Amino acid sequence: MKGITQLYDKLTRKRGLLYAVLLTCFIASVLFVNHNYSFYDRPIAQVIQATLLEETDVTDMNQNKDTLYKQQLVAVLRNGKEKGQSIQLMNEFSASGAFDQQYKVGNELFVLLKRDSTGKLKTSAVIVDVKRDKYVVLLAWIFVFALLVVGKRQGFFAIVSFMINVLLLSFALDVYVKYSAINLLVVCGVCIVLFTVISLLFVSGFSPKTYAAIAATLLGTFASLTITFLVIWLTSSNGLRYEEMQFLTRPYRLVFIGGLFIGSLGAIMDVAITMSSSLFALHERNPAISVQDLKTSGLDIGQDIMGTITNILFFAYISGSIPMLILFLRNASALGYTLSMNLSLEVTRALAGGIGIVLTIPIGLYTTLFFIKRKKASV
Amino acid sequence: MNVITWLAFILLLLMVLIGGKKGVRSFFSLFLNFGVLFFMMFFMLSPTVNPIFITILASILIGSINLFFINEVNRKTVTAFISTMITIIILLFFIVLVSNILMIQGFGEEETEAISGLSLYIGVDFMKIGVSVIILSTIGAVMDVAISIASSMHELIRHNPSITKKELFASGVHIGRDILGTDTNTLFFAFFGGYLALLIWFKDLSYSFGDIVNSKIFSSELVLILCAGTGIALVIPITAWINVYDLFRKRKKEEQK
Repeated sequence: MKGITQLYDKLTRKRGLLYAVLLTCFIASVLFVNHNYSFYDRPIAQVIQATLLEETDVTDMNQNKDTLYKQQLVAVLRNGKEKGQSIQLMNEFSASGAFDQQYKVGNELFVLLKRDSTGKLKTSAVIVDVKRDKYVVLLAWIFVFALLVVGKRQGFFAIVSFMINVLLLSFALDVYVKYSAINLLVVCGVCIVLFTVISLLFVSGFSPKTYAAIAATLLGTFASLTITFLVIWLTSSNGLRYEEMQFLTRPYRLVFIGGLFIGSLGAIMDVAITMSSSLFALHERNPAISVQDLKTSGLDIGQDIMGTITNILFFAYISGSIPMLILFLRNASALGYTLSMNLSLEVTRALAGGIGIVLTIPIGLYTTLFFIKRKKASV
Repeated sequence: MNVITWLAFILLLLMVLIGGKKGVRSFFSLFLNFGVLFFMMFFMLSPTVNPIFITILASILIGSINLFFINEVNRKTVTAFISTMITIIILLFFIVLVSNILMIQGFGEEETEAISGLSLYIGVDFMKIGVSVIILSTIGAVMDVAISIASSMHELIRHNPSITKKELFASGVHIGRDILGTDTNTLFFAFFGGYLALLIWFKDLSYSFGDIVNSKIFSSELVLILCAGTGIALVIPITAWINVYDLFRKRKKEEQK
């Protein structure tokens, strides 16, 4: 942490150096993703010609009208033994595009090649997926530059702490997948402690205000988890439709609670650090301020942020379900069934997060007061 | 009673106990926001309505609820509202461009099980619905940043009326920077938590790094995170600039009197 602060200071002192390093990384990565075909085992082909063959209007069993298209593509292989050879691909897509899309000249696709009995390449192949890495990398750079230009030091820290957290989570999941004997909740618990310490140190450095926020975040997460866990246990998951959970390779209940744990962490940290930094600021401005005054202003600050932060979580969780809700409703599913099937887990996540946020306000207030008192006593 | 009613009841109780009147209003705003999303979804069901147009309308409504209803109509909230809308419009253009290039609309291969048995040819434009999802996932954080910057800048000029344009702008951006880190954090972890199952799936089925980056479902999640972060960064200078403009226009008027 200190090392990175120093690194950043050093780099900004030589501002030119920072820009040079970034620009080099940027150019190198963009060049790489534009020429990385040989790194893929899967054959990649670039579309050089696209012809629309036919267009049919369809109506499904629920009277939804849509248009289906068929297009023929000519593409050139970009990797493998037959690099440079052209192949033909057929693509069917719909106007709504729930599971398909139109391809245009220049698009790069992963394809499945077909061979005859002698191993010779057939001219027709099948489309598997789109090669997206080029644009994903470009977008990531736009994000990095936006955060750096606007956020400067804080933006830099946000990016670094995000990257460390991603690596940490990835590593933790590797460990979990490898040693199945470990409980997922233990893995998530350890991750949460590390996430909290790392993220908060990046936000406000080594100081009593950070320690107070770390303590408050951990206590707040623990308290909200206990409540949520008790409610789920006492009602025996009544109303939770675990069927909606996708991508399941593991016990669903644990995966859900693990996700709940991590999901509300950011919001709880936000409350904890806001409480502790504003209380410490009040104390520093006027060291003689009474504990009662601090309590009143702390509660006031907490009440102000409680609504907005709950809303941030709420929007982030609920919005993602919209495409699935629309698909269900257009397929003539009953409204109640659709909502409970697609929203029960998201709403539970948002509510559990909200409980964590609200609980962290008094917890943050008292932990910060404790740290302020300790600081006073040591002086 | 089921889990959701219990949790909602506990949340209401805590909000009232700790937040008093403001807590009641916060809880009520959650309901209103849910209502807006719900109605918006119904309009989007119709294939003839453009989902992006609906999204803009919904953003205006959500902005009004969270800025004007929760606080009140005053200079602070009006400038925050305008800044939020400008940011949302710019972000909208950006996201339309990105999702067209990346082809991330609709559902990914990993979701086939969930949508099996459903007719996919339902006539609505999933590309535009995808754009709408990204905007709505971000709007909460964008509003939060806008209102925080606007209120601190108003406080600042009240305590320090002789401040110059440049100083005021700089301090607005400075306040924004402090929120930038924590708000991006809030969203990052919310998305991580929501997709824990997907991440474990990738690991269990030993997807290679290349497979993950190119898959539709992962890149659409990443686009969501990156666009949200970019939106939060974007709203900072926009809000700072609009508030400088507004506060100095007000000061000029007062001087003329």
